[in-house]
Amino acid sequence: MSHDDHHAVVVPAPGPEFVPHEVAHHFSTPVQEFQSGKLGFWLFLATEILLFGGLFAAYFYFHEVYPETFRVGGQQLDWRLGALNTSVLLLSSWTMAMGVRSAQTSQKSKTLMFLGLTVLGAAIFMVIKFFEYKAKNEHGLIVFSELFRPFIENPDGTGSLAWFQDYHGVMAGVPHGHMFFAIYLTMTAIHGLHVVIGAGLIIWIMFGTAKGRFHAGYFMPVDLVGLYWHLVDLIWIFLFPLLYLVP
Amino acid sequence: MSDTATATDAHDAHGHGELEMGHIHVSSAAMFFKVLVALLFLTFITVAVSRFDFGSMNMLIAMAIACVKASLVIAFFMHVKWDTAINKIVFLGSFLFLALLFVFTLADLLTRRLDHEMHTIKSPVDKEWVQPKPQADGNH
Amino acid sequence: MTTNTPAVATATPETQAPRETYLNCSSGFMSWAGTLDHKRIGIMYLVGVGIAFLAGGLFALLVRLHLWEPEGLLFSNLDYNQVFTLHGAFMVFLFVIPAIPGSIGNMVLPLMVGAKDVALPRLNLLSFYLWLTGAILATLAIVLGGFDTGWTFYAPYSLYTDKAVVTIGLAVFVLGFSSIFTGLNFIVTVHKLRAPGMTWFRMPLMVWALYSTSILQVLATPVLGITVLLVAFERLYHIGIFDPRLGGDPVLFEHFFWFYSHPAVYIMVLPAFGIISELVSVHSRKPLFGYKLIAFSSLAIAIISFLVWGHHMFTSGQSTYAMFAFSFLTFFVAIPTAIKEFSWVATVWKGSVALNSPMLYALAFLIIFAIGGLTGVILGTLNVNLHLHDTYFVVAHFHYVMMGSISLAFFAGLHHWWPKMFGKMYSETLAKIACLIIFVGFNMTFIPQFIMGSRGMPRRYATYVPEFEPFHQASTIGAIILGCGVALMVFYLLQSLLSGKKAKENQWGGVTLDWHTPTPPPHLNFDHEPKVVHEVYDYSTLDYESMQRDAT
Ligand SMILES: [Cu+2]
Repeated sequence: MSHDDHHAVVVPAPGPEFVPHEVAHHFSTPVQEFQSGKLGFWLFLATEILLFGGLFAAYFYFHEVYPETFRVGGQQLDWRLGALNTSVLLLSSWTMAMGVRSAQTSQKSKTLMFLGLTVLGAAIFMVIKFFEYKAKNEHGLIVFSELFRPFIENPDGTGSLAWFQDYHGVMAGVPHGHMFFAIYLTMTAIHGLHVVIGAGLIIWIMFGTAKGRFHAGYFMPVDLVGLYWHLVDLIWIFLFPLLYLVP
Repeated sequence: MSDTATATDAHDAHGHGELEMGHIHVSSAAMFFKVLVALLFLTFITVAVSRFDFGSMNMLIAMAIACVKASLVIAFFMHVKWDTAINKIVFLGSFLFLALLFVFTLADLLTRRLDHEMHTIKSPVDKEWVQPKPQADGNH
Repeated sequence: MTTNTPAVATATPETQAPRETYLNCSSGFMSWAGTLDHKRIGIMYLVGVGIAFLAGGLFALLVRLHLWEPEGLLFSNLDYNQVFTLHGAFMVFLFVIPAIPGSIGNMVLPLMVGAKDVALPRLNLLSFYLWLTGAILATLAIVLGGFDTGWTFYAPYSLYTDKAVVTIGLAVFVLGFSSIFTGLNFIVTVHKLRAPGMTWFRMPLMVWALYSTSILQVLATPVLGITVLLVAFERLYHIGIFDPRLGGDPVLFEHFFWFYSHPAVYIMVLPAFGIISELVSVHSRKPLFGYKLIAFSSLAIAIISFLVWGHHMFTSGQSTYAMFAFSFLTFFVAIPTAIKEFSWVATVWKGSVALNSPMLYALAFLIIFAIGGLTGVILGTLNVNLHLHDTYFVVAHFHYVMMGSISLAFFAGLHHWWPKMFGKMYSETLAKIACLIIFVGFNMTFIPQFIMGSRGMPRRYATYVPEFEPFHQASTIGAIILGCGVALMVFYLLQSLLSGKKAKENQWGGVTLDWHTPTPPPHLNFDHEPKVVHEVYDYSTLDYESMQRDAT
């Protein structure tokens, strides 16, 4: 927004490779702008916590109702892949933290490198996730091609799910074996969506970084995207033991 | 803390990052690395303890370790340790409200069992009642 | 957005050309559709929620007309399910929740704290467009087969019905985020954008109320979001967590739903409390009795409302112990609520009350809310609730709160700030007549419903036993009277825009910052950055001359 407001406050660029930052017209200082953005984003993260919290509540609820289903279900997931993915996300959280730090200290190329590494981490995570889903598909625990087929209802009130076939009968001995995989799929899919959105946001701020918009005087967008990425990591920290190592 | 640094004494910043943003805390790279190592180590611990069966304590132990990891991410990677009071309240407070959802919902589920003993009327999610008999389980 | 050039606030009332205001500082479609000005966004919200209210009201009239005869007059039983669902969903999600924060709140909150705008203007515009998207999706859902679940989307019926539940669920999800972003914006604005000298305890009570509302919006709404998302997943790929056929538990759905929807009642009513607090003070020309009590009671209500949701589930198969706890905790809501009611009455008491039309609406609120609130305590009592659950008693109770209290407070606020928003004055005579008609019509609609409910008339039924016919007919006549009152209100408000006389600079003699800026306000709200040196509601600072001077 261009405006003729003579009050506009400008934060100077720390070097020739950076551009100065103009504070939005309704703020009087850059600190006020920074703190407002940050508080707003923390509030947004609080909503994310409660949104995921609903899923976690459902997890604990059914873990209590069907402990055996969850125990056997958890054994069908490969904890090695889970642990690997956890490490990938933790590493990417570290590169993100370093990226924010580099932006705070006006180190443009370092910022770009760390942000790039973070996107790489996101990509590796999603690739591993893909192979995990593929294995579940092959065992008939989540048949992706049948996901949207209607529930097949029998006249006696029972019925069968098209997406849960359990080819090897690994869940045969426990009640409602699909329940674990339904929760596994829902939680990891929504988490995966956040990973993709997070990666998109990081790529977006990489463009801004390349143009020199972010430096010691103005790094709020990098900081906020960083917080978002750490939240994605935070959720996975809980998902990993709950799904792969069902306690 | 000795392994953190403020903007003006960040070791590897060329010509010191001058900050116009007031008290913005820039953590040292060394500290971030230590946190990373701690997180990876705790991941290893989580897997290791899951090999042993502590009975009903399993969940508690797994969640306790996850909480420690989460605290590290929140305090250091997310900078909450150095953030303003209101930001701390907002983020940590959200967990408090989440706890309300957990506590009341699970309290209802867990006390339905007592109900069952009290009235001998089966509630809809009473365990035995919901779980289908083995022969009716057919396709699952 | 470049067309939206801010005005340089230099003009004085005596200069030749009309003074630049937020209304005339730029023109053209994009200057509105792409505006970042909280006042214009407030006006767009006002138009939007106004249309939603009229649509919801139309559905209500259809429901009432259908119930004229025991066998039903207009619809098949299945169509009736759709009509009352449409009424509920439109009113709750498109009108009552966004109405006051979105329109009046957007308009006055930044003015009241002395800010140039809300803290995050782009997010504010996004909020409005999310609301619009939600409204379009909800309308689309009608086209795609309608929805007949009631506004509560209870599982398992919502999982099995062949109607457009996924579309309306998506609408609710989007509307939820619209509401979240409004709340988020207000919290940041209150924390970071208060003018110099505007301490927390100098903030008008409207701001306190909106602030408390915002906490609820931010913390409760996401759970509704995940709930409708899970319902959509259930319908699309049968995850089974709410579906008893698949081992799921519908009671879990109700827990999730009411974790949001009980606090949502306070998302709706707290802003109404805020409006009434302002109006009672201004029109009695007296500082509010117990300012801090009212401020803190708003916060207390916000917190307590998270502890009581189970009182909607007394007949749903919750455990008895949970019901004890929820019923017991519900009574605590009555304390801060009663504090407010007493404070308002004590403020009016021996004040120099000016019976302006906004004040009439506010007084109507005080009476109706007393009934709505007290019947709530009755319903919160576990053993009484078991008998009255899902009867017309419940319907009448929440209409006393949602329609009688919240909508009336919304009308009161609208009449109060209308001259501020547009610089035009409506006909006071017509306004007072309309208020009277609405008050009479409203009570005539819902008092018979209390009686029917206590005698066992269940809600959401398309037909009823003949004994209830006179009550239903009285209720229908009341609804028609109510509708006429609303139609009259819409008429004179719109008329005032075309041919209303100029409002006064300070129409009612308010002393909060929203009355310390020219009427209508300039683009950046204040000609000079305000410095607050007085306590709030200090009527010794009232500039009587500004009450005589015409707005420019
Ligand atoms: Cu309630």
